[in-house]
Amino acid sequence: MGEVYEVTIWARGVTQDMEGRHLSLLIANSADKDGKFVQAWDDYADLPDRVQVPLRKYARISDEDLEMRYDYENDHPNMSVIMDDTIVKGINVLRGMPKGGVLVVNTKRSPEEILKFIPNKDLLDAIVCVDANSIAGAVDLDFMGSEGGVETVSVGAGISAPIVGAAAKATDRLTLESLVAVAANKDGVKKGYETAQVKSL
Amino acid sequence: MSDFKFPEGKEVPRGAVLPAPVKENRMMITGNWRTDRPVIDHEKCTLCLNCFIYCPDACWHLDEEEEKMVWNADFCKGCLICAVECPAFALTAVNELEFEDGVVRLEKPF
Ligand code: SF4
Ligand code: SF4
Repeated sequence: MGEVYEVTIWARGVTQDMEGRHLSLLIANSADKDGKFVQAWDDYADLPDRVQVPLRKYARISDEDLEMRYDYENDHPNMSVIMDDTIVKGINVLRGMPKGGVLVVNTKRSPEEILKFIPNKDLLDAIVCVDANSIAGAVDLDFMGSEGGVETVSVGAGISAPIVGAAAKATDRLTLESLVAVAANKDGVKKGYETAQVKSL
Repeated sequence: MSDFKFPEGKEVPRGAVLPAPVKENRMMITGNWRTDRPVIDHEKCTLCLNCFIYCPDACWHLDEEEEKMVWNADFCKGCLICAVECPAFALTAVNELEFEDGVVRLEKPF
C-alpha cells in the first residue's frame, strides 16, 4: 500500500451532519473520478444526533489500493477541514497531523484571526478560509438513502460545495474539474475555489 | 423534613429537594458544542435565578458574596435557553470567536 492522503472533517451535529458527510463524499467521489483509490466514512463513536456537538467525517485518497479496512479514524490527517469556525476553540483540530498539513476553515473571518486559536500551527503549510455559508445560502435538506449510505442525489448542494472548492486551492490531491463534476452545486464549488483566502505558512 | 412547616399560603405539592450539582464530569465537557455564548449585563440582571433554573447543564450559579450570577464556560453548550428565559433581557448571544477565553480544546469530541 502506497502513501495515503488523509482528510479529517470536523462538523457540528444535526445541523451539519449531512453536509459533513457530503464533504467527505465529494472528496472521495472526485478523487475516484481522477483514478485514485478512495474511502469516505463517518466516525461511529460520535454523537451526530446532538445539536452542535463536534463530530468527525473522514476521507482517504491513495494511488494504490487502500488496505486500511478496519481503521475507523484517521490518525495522521494531512488535511483538516473545519465546517464551523468555533470548533477551533473546542477541539485540537490538528491532532496527529504530520508537518506540512493543510487547515481549511468555513468562516467569515481571516486566516490570521483563525490562526490565533491554533496553538500548534507550526504543523501547517497553509490555512484556507472560505465563507461557505454566504456562498451556499439556505438549502433544503434532502435525506436520500439510509443514513447516507447510498446517497447519490444532491450530494454537495449546501456548504460542502464551496468548502471543498476552497480545499482544492491548497492541495493538488483534489482537482477542481472533478469536484465540479460530482457536486450538485457546481457554481458553489467554483465560488468556493475563487473566493477562498489561502495563507501559506 | 417531617418537622418542616410551610409558611401559611405557601404549601407546595409533595416533591423532592435536590442539592445543586457541585461536581463536574470532566469526561463529558460540552463547552465545545458552543458557537455563541450568553453574555451577562450585570446592570440589568435582577438575580431572579431564572437562568439557574432553566439551564439544562447547571451552568449559572449565584455567587452570594458578590451578588452576581457566575457562568461556567467549560460546560455551557450554547443552547441559549437562558437568554430566551431571562425576563430582564440581561443575556445576549455573542459569537464564541470574539473571546480568547473559554477554550477547552479536547482531543476527541467529548
Ligand atoms: S446557553 Fe444553555 S447551557 Fe449555556 S448557560 Fe445558557 S442555558 Fe446553560
Ligand atoms: S435570568 Fe436574567 S435576570 Fe434572572 S438571574 Fe439570570 S441573568 Fe439575571
